[in-house]
Amino acid sequence: MSLLEGFQVSKNFGGLKALYDVDFAVEQGEIVGLIGANGAGKTTLFNVISGVYGPSSGHIRFKGENITRLKPHQICQKGLGRTFQVVKPFLNMTVLRNVSVGKLFGRDRLRHRKDAERDAQQILEFVGLSEKADIPAKELTLAHRKRLEIARALATNPELLLLDEVLAGLTPTETDEAMVLIREIRESLGVTVLMVEHVMKAVIGVSGRIFVLHYGEKIAEGTPQEIAENPTVIEAYLGERIEL
Amino acid sequence: MGKERRLIGAIGLILLFLCLLPLMASDYHVSVFLDLMMWIALTESWIILSGYTGYISLGHSAFFGLGAYLMAITWTHIPYGLGVILAGLLSTAFAFAIGFPFLRVRGPYFVILTLGLTEFTKFLFINLEIKLGGTVGRILMMTPGLHTLYYSILVVTAIATITAYFVKNSRFGTGLFSIKEDEDAANAMGINTSLYKWLAFGISASFPGMVGAILALRRSYIDPYTVFSPIVSFQVIVMAFVGGLEDVEGAVVGAVILTLISEALWARYPYTYMIILGIVMIFIVKFMPLGLVFPIKRRILMRRKGKDR
Repeated sequence: MSLLEGFQVSKNFGGLKALYDVDFAVEQGEIVGLIGANGAGKTTLFNVISGVYGPSSGHIRFKGENITRLKPHQICQKGLGRTFQVVKPFLNMTVLRNVSVGKLFGRDRLRHRKDAERDAQQILEFVGLSEKADIPAKELTLAHRKRLEIARALATNPELLLLDEVLAGLTPTETDEAMVLIREIRESLGVTVLMVEHVMKAVIGVSGRIFVLHYGEKIAEGTPQEIAENPTVIEAYLGERIEL
Repeated sequence: MGKERRLIGAIGLILLFLCLLPLMASDYHVSVFLDLMMWIALTESWIILSGYTGYISLGHSAFFGLGAYLMAITWTHIPYGLGVILAGLLSTAFAFAIGFPFLRVRGPYFVILTLGLTEFTKFLFINLEIKLGGTVGRILMMTPGLHTLYYSILVVTAIATITAYFVKNSRFGTGLFSIKEDEDAANAMGINTSLYKWLAFGISASFPGMVGAILALRRSYIDPYTVFSPIVSFQVIVMAFVGGLEDVEGAVVGAVILTLISEALWARYPYTYMIILGIVMIFIVKFMPLGLVFPIKRRILMRRKGKDR
């Protein structure tokens, strides 16, 4: 049984087919990349998986359980965490309190704020934000906001983490640091990762497997090597061969 | 620990003063304090929904009017205290009934929707009263004395303030503040946002219901125009903004300041009061969007931190 499985998932917005019969599976312990041009349906797929809206047809299983019609908070509590492409920090709360919300309401559902903040402190250390714990989130730089976004998702104690373009807008150095962090999430925490990413170097560098979406359809799936050499993908998305 | 003990001491002294006031003061002063506490109760209950979640509601007038009418209809049939409690329960039940569809709507649309709610209930009652009784107003006979009303408002205000305080500092309150910051992110982090907003709406609605019931007896004459007047909601919002939307103490400060201005001006220059209310609102929103209390609290906090280091 795969950790996450989608069966013929489709999503229409009016006449627009944002997703069309997409099948996918993510295995325990993998890092899977999801790529595709703008408008290919990547974020729509994330929103369908995390329950922001239901699919028009098809269904999704997480740990073997059908989660197709569950609400976002229920899916989160089952152990499926996500970040947002446009980061959504709680700007007027401190960094620590931002993260403690995940501990209070995610899979752990801690009763007391003190316990939540103690656990949140550990997560801040893991993502390298512990020095910023007491400042309001609105004072963070973009790179730090992206880390906070990851920290909040980790605080919900997920088994599977959906990362939506956490590298976009970062400098090359920041990108390298974030890639190390993503690997660490799998290695140290044992969290499976499904990531949408435009930065090809990063996707190819950290993913064991890659899906390619094109106009709402899955056109390819395979190892980074296979994807980089796949003629359909090159024609539809990459434009030219990537040197590995 | 010392700080907490001092705070509890201060609150105890204020409560003691308010309990003893009717024994010492003239009826005029008692009724001023009655008014003041009524606004504190309304403002504290308003911030539980609107201050903590950011869903700015103009619906307080609707619940206030419902409470007033419940009291007008049941008065002389059931005991006074029971009537007040029923008014609170009715308001909460009404808020729960309309809550889910209402709270799906965000931002300015929610504001307009709640304004519509107040107008809807007002005209509903105007029509019902004319159909059933032939007249619009109701006169309430043999109403309780000033002191009884004063003490009942005191109890309601104390409960409203304590509720606002405990909600703010609870896990539930953290959920509400997360909704205010970013509802979608809050939902994705495991918060049942629909349920939390709905509960806050229901809790918030009970107090204007109870206050409306008591005020109906205080005025001894009610009609839909006055008890469903949107001015009640507007005043509450100005008071909350003056004190600071998220502050339990702020609600008290805002209510005190506006009530004092009102007492000074209302009798002789009623229109001046409304003009000043408007100017205060503009000034606060433009120059002190956090209200009066929070910046002071922050400065004290900073100074204390500075001393520690």
